[in-house]
Amino acid sequence: MAAPQIPNLNTFRRGRGRGRGTGHVENGPGHPTGKDRVVQGTDNDASVSRMSAVELRYLDDPYATALTPSGSVTRRFPIINRGTYVRTTAIDRLVTRFLSPYSPEAPIRKKQVISLGAGSDTRIFRLFSARQPPDIVYHELDFAVNTATKIQAIRSTPSLQRALGLDSSRDNVTVSEAGDALHSPSYHIHPVDLRSLSADSSLSETLPGVDRELPTLLISECCLIYLSPTEAAQVVSFFTEHVFGPSSEATAGEDTQQCSQAPLGLVLYEPIRPDDPFGRTMVSNLAARGIQLQTLHKYASLEAQRARLREHGLSSGQAAADIDFIWERWVSEEEKERVSSLEMLDEMEEWRLLARHYCIAWGWRDGNDVEAFEGWSTIQAQPGE
Amino acid sequence: MSDLDRAIEQLRACRLIPESQVRELCYKARELLIEEGNVVSVDAPVTICGDIHGQFHDLMELFRVGGDVPDTNYLFMGDFVDRGFYSLESFLLLLCLKVRYPDRITLIRGNHESRQITTVYGFYDECIRKYGSANVWRYCCEVFDYLALGAIVLGASSGLEPTTSYTNDTTQSTMPIDDGELETEVLNSQGEVTFSTYRPRQRSSSDTSTDSRAISPPRDISAPPGQATPSRTGAPGTGASGDGNGSAQTSRTGAVLCVHGGLSPLIDSVDKIRLIDRKQEVPHEGAMCDLLWSDPDEIEGWGLSPRGAGFLFGSDIVKQFNHLNGLSLVARAHQLVMEGYKEMFDGGIVTVWSAPNYCYRCGNVAAILELGEDASNGGTVARSNGEYGRSNGVVDANTVVSPGRRYRVFEAAAQDTRGMPAKKPVADYFL
Repeated sequence: MAAPQIPNLNTFRRGRGRGRGTGHVENGPGHPTGKDRVVQGTDNDASVSRMSAVELRYLDDPYATALTPSGSVTRRFPIINRGTYVRTTAIDRLVTRFLSPYSPEAPIRKKQVISLGAGSDTRIFRLFSARQPPDIVYHELDFAVNTATKIQAIRSTPSLQRALGLDSSRDNVTVSEAGDALHSPSYHIHPVDLRSLSADSSLSETLPGVDRELPTLLISECCLIYLSPTEAAQVVSFFTEHVFGPSSEATAGEDTQQCSQAPLGLVLYEPIRPDDPFGRTMVSNLAARGIQLQTLHKYASLEAQRARLREHGLSSGQAAADIDFIWERWVSEEEKERVSSLEMLDEMEEWRLLARHYCIAWGWRDGNDVEAFEGWSTIQAQPGE
Repeated sequence: MSDLDRAIEQLRACRLIPESQVRELCYKARELLIEEGNVVSVDAPVTICGDIHGQFHDLMELFRVGGDVPDTNYLFMGDFVDRGFYSLESFLLLLCLKVRYPDRITLIRGNHESRQITTVYGFYDECIRKYGSANVWRYCCEVFDYLALGAIVLGASSGLEPTTSYTNDTTQSTMPIDDGELETEVLNSQGEVTFSTYRPRQRSSSDTSTDSRAISPPRDISAPPGQATPSRTGAPGTGASGDGNGSAQTSRTGAVLCVHGGLSPLIDSVDKIRLIDRKQEVPHEGAMCDLLWSDPDEIEGWGLSPRGAGFLFGSDIVKQFNHLNGLSLVARAHQLVMEGYKEMFDGGIVTVWSAPNYCYRCGNVAAILELGEDASNGGTVARSNGEYGRSNGVVDANTVVSPGRRYRVFEAAAQDTRGMPAKKPVADYFL
């Protein structure tokens, strides 16, 4: 049992550790500023929290160890573990329901996932290990320093390669010279500063392998929140309007445009409700660590998140729920009992406070396939603010 | 200056004392605590405090707001350790004060004063980190086993002496007295009154919950509320001894039961608490566990607790328990309340929470609860309103008047000005 009381020690350690990676960054896209480094470091928080939840058996994730920086294993407090559990399983559910055919009779159609600021996320490995050969194309976008770390982990860990079905002997994998980009038929790691994405640049150069025709799910798991409101909106618009916008051939009316577009969904996981005492404290505590949640005030409520999805043209459906709601309503009684028995969670009031300040929002447009997001229709959303 | 006084001085400066001294302190504390019953009797005036959770600098703020030991008589309702960064400094200071001024500070056990919980929530790790071994943790856990499970406050005054505001003290004191007796008052950390309620002295209100009060005699004119001694101005030492004998019967207000968590379906009388063999680790179930783990809730009867230990209990349970035991109030801690205190069930139970900005993350304020001394029973004349009620054939604990309650609300200590170490506490978030 390490000392969870002083998580700031980890921050110090991380600060030193990151220095090693800067060599890659100099040549890579997006020269990180001090603030960027802090944001990149949040991935470490997430992976340490995931490792803690895995070790205590909240989550079953055989790939967590390989993607957690060694020496940073820390046992988190029970409420953090439960939060990591709820967040991970909730996004898993949205992803799985998107990927699975809605009905057994429905034809299996290849689908695409684009994960923004994916960092050390293990979802790709968990998905691919159960889907060989993969019927999906999976993209991860992050700062070069983070993608290089991940590619290094994949290169040195056979179990990760096996999960991906990668076979270096068959020459189906290419890694960039800097070691920060990876391309294979169904898995791509893109070293990219999201703020540099622009409609002016060629997609095949910036994000090679992205297929404009596939039903696609965008995921931002605590990523866009670190950008300025303008930048965050631009990143989403880059995908909704440029990459998956009206195809150039479609010159007819709006209806035709709609129908020619690939189905597109967006899942957001973000803090909300910054204006109550807990929220204010959260903002100031994170600011003390150099972390600014720039869009927090703009998308401060469930309703604001739904409106955001609507404004981005995800017109077929917009929904949101906070983590407290998801724990109460999405998790079965049986599973709740299992999770509750893992650790004594004494801090019920604190749990509710914390869990009400994070939400998952999801929205989609059907485009040319009304069944693509049919699997989301039965997922319970939270009404109200 | 004795070693103990030196240790107190050192701990007040947030500096630890040597392991050998901790060992000695814990030994003395056990000798003292072993003499206490499961339910300690405490005479008003007393200041009741909730969870501290190792937030040492906020404990110092609590003493600034509530007065120092031994000037103020304190009752801490457990959860001294875990979560905060200074569980050792906080608990050892409280323990030193207990050994130094045993009649001026009462410590009862919280659910975190347990071997099992402290290994999950931080105190164990802190001991290892600060002392290099588990020895001090073991000494402390042995003390935990001897802490009382509850306390009964006797002789509290039904009315409060209104606090004179610093800003306009000429108008404040006279104004609302005619309408009734000051029942509750909330003060901010600057000592300014932010809220108060008055108890009607005589009324035939249609409010059923206070009907029974209407038939109880009005407050004796020989003891106008203006003469009640507020706890703040009470001389050091008052209430520590003297009128303690049987004051539950002679006081106009009912006794106040203080426990960390709440009630238990296995406990229908305070006397049953006295029968528990408490000198052990907190069990996973049973009466002792419930007293430390249960929570009041807006339900009927008993319910399962989401905490996995203890129970939820509704207003009917509290009303019945208070009635049967001649209590006017249950004071408990255990649950974070954003405003620092929360009265429930027509004032039958109150939660007091004394850890501001809990875990450096929650943004809540904290509170302490002051109960004043009933001046009318300070002398030899023992009025007996409780018996008056009974002579009417109304053996109804509702005739027992609740004590006047003064809540002092305070915020987290400004850490930068208090010589905090450079390592600022960092709260975890999902990032």
